[in-house]
Amino acid sequence: MSAGAPGWRHVYRWDLDKTYLDTHFESLRKLARIPFERPEQKVNIPGSAALLRELCADLPDQRPSRVAIVSGSPTQMRRVLEKKLRLDGVAWHEFHLKPQWKNIKRGRFRAMRNQVGYKLPLLLRSRAELGEVVPETLFGDDAEADAFIYSLYADLIAGRVDARLLRKVLARAGAYDEEVEGCVSHLAHIEPADSVETIFVHLDRRTPPSWFRMFGPRLVPVFNYFQAALVLFARDHLSPEGVVRVTRAFLDADGAGVDELANLFQDILRRGHLPGRSMQALGQAMQADAEGERAVIERCAERFETLGPARAYRGSAPPPSPDYLAMWDRFKGRA
Amino acid sequence: MGGDHGPAEAVRAAAALSLDRPDLHLILVGDVPEFSPILDEERYDPARLSFRHTPQWVHQESSPKDALRERPDASILVACSLVADGAADAVVTSGSTGAAILAAAERLGRIPGVRRCALAAVTPTEQRHGPHGDPFALLLDVGATLDVTARDLVTFAIMGSAYSAAISGNERPRVALLSNGTEPKKGPREVVAAHRILAGLQEIDFAGNVEGLDIPKGTVDVVVTGGFLGNVILKMLEGFGAVISDLAADAYARKFLWRLGLTMLSSGLKQIQTVMDWEQYGGAPVLGFAQPIIKAHGRSKHRAIANACKVAAKAARSDMVATVERAVAQLPDQEAS
Repeated sequence: MSAGAPGWRHVYRWDLDKTYLDTHFESLRKLARIPFERPEQKVNIPGSAALLRELCADLPDQRPSRVAIVSGSPTQMRRVLEKKLRLDGVAWHEFHLKPQWKNIKRGRFRAMRNQVGYKLPLLLRSRAELGEVVPETLFGDDAEADAFIYSLYADLIAGRVDARLLRKVLARAGAYDEEVEGCVSHLAHIEPADSVETIFVHLDRRTPPSWFRMFGPRLVPVFNYFQAALVLFARDHLSPEGVVRVTRAFLDADGAGVDELANLFQDILRRGHLPGRSMQALGQAMQADAEGERAVIERCAERFETLGPARAYRGSAPPPSPDYLAMWDRFKGRA
Repeated sequence: MGGDHGPAEAVRAAAALSLDRPDLHLILVGDVPEFSPILDEERYDPARLSFRHTPQWVHQESSPKDALRERPDASILVACSLVADGAADAVVTSGSTGAAILAAAERLGRIPGVRRCALAAVTPTEQRHGPHGDPFALLLDVGATLDVTARDLVTFAIMGSAYSAAISGNERPRVALLSNGTEPKKGPREVVAAHRILAGLQEIDFAGNVEGLDIPKGTVDVVVTGGFLGNVILKMLEGFGAVISDLAADAYARKFLWRLGLTMLSSGLKQIQTVMDWEQYGGAPVLGFAQPIIKAHGRSKHRAIANACKVAAKAARSDMVATVERAVAQLPDQEAS
């Protein structure tokens, strides 16, 4: 499907490393091995494939959703990564990888590490090329500057951040002039709309959730994709059956039991990212025959009760007046 | 939830344990909206933590009896109920000792044959103990029962011996009564009477009486006394540790030669400081209840509370209560009375 095709239901934008794929390495040797891994050797972040499959699945009588991947992995890995996604049963519509070799040849060594100057122009170009206002959900991680880039992108396309501030932020973030001009040019072609619903940040490094408070409740830090599935269910992106299938992926994986999943449910509820009414709807998911999933839902109901008044829903609004220059100063160590 | 530092230190301890000890599941009982922001400032693993909200707690300065009567949902009562109902295996608290003991008596119940409970603390010693060469001995009671009878002291000795065997792997720990002389007739009436009973028991390795100086020496593995004296001794030992550190710091600041001497002795002093550091020993089990309950010091910071949780896990896993219960059951009625 080509960009610009009308009638998208939703756009899901994903990062790959540490968001979709587990690229942890305990030694330099293991790090050196990552580029040479075969597709079947690549390991998913638990639940990522199951969730993305659910999100990109065609639904009867509904427009298709669009999956756009922007990864910092080098372009040389395209074949392996595409094969991995196919093995996972994931369909995508855009897949951008970082032209690291081109950066070296052009002496743009800063660009090799810089994520803001790489990702933001791609996101804005993708948005401009859509040619219509489509709601979006973004997935990143806490290892680099995804929270910053995604929030800035969301506020740019909503018209809350103008080109003048964008130039200042990009200059401070060390972006090259052509990246800055690219962003400004794409922004000019975007009809302002507050269309980013949710930004998920996978807490790969277990960064304390309060660290992301400056981005407002639109950004949801999640410890795993079971939590993301619950939030997406509450926001009508997943069916009860979809939640059940994602839950099954966790129950099948090592180390995830009924109590652990119920605790993760209670955590996301406690942090105010899940409205209480979603519990009732979740109860319907119990129609599933499988014993394991039913036990998870029942245990979640117990955790819901024991949390008491601490389950106040924070909503999903963007921050009222984000200071992206100050935010960048906090984030620069991660970019 | 929480001692002198409020819930913050308990929350930090739970957060740290959720990452360091994936074999544990911690239930935080207390005012969730109050401690939520504290947890969100920490690195933690949510899969290992759950929450039980209750807005009521017992203030340190209030009367435990009145507070528990007025606050039926006090966090310590709720925590004890979770253990009594089988939803948890052990209680850890750094809150009011009196409230913890009353709540445990109400919700957990006592082991049959136990009239009063004992708080068992470890104290650093010169001699090593047990198969693992632990640098500490057990001292009980350190504050749960202020007025004791001979029967209470005998029960404490039995429970202390069983606890030491279960937790330290010391198959037959040497147990002694604390007195003002080693002779059997020395000491207050209840100590003399307890000595007579213990000397006739085969179930434990009774070493007779020991004096205060034997506690830091580590002459025996378990030292038995009443709660009043035990608490005074424990606080005095803690005070020594703090004063030694203060004196060393003062000397270091005063004279160059002293500074030089202290620098040369630094590794030895560090060792002493480590042994005297009560935070590393975690909490004290309250022996005599039908389920494990660990009391951490009211001044405990997160490290001490985390260590108390590890003691609780060890007590639950080693089935410490059952070991104590079996030992108490062997105590003949006429001897215990």
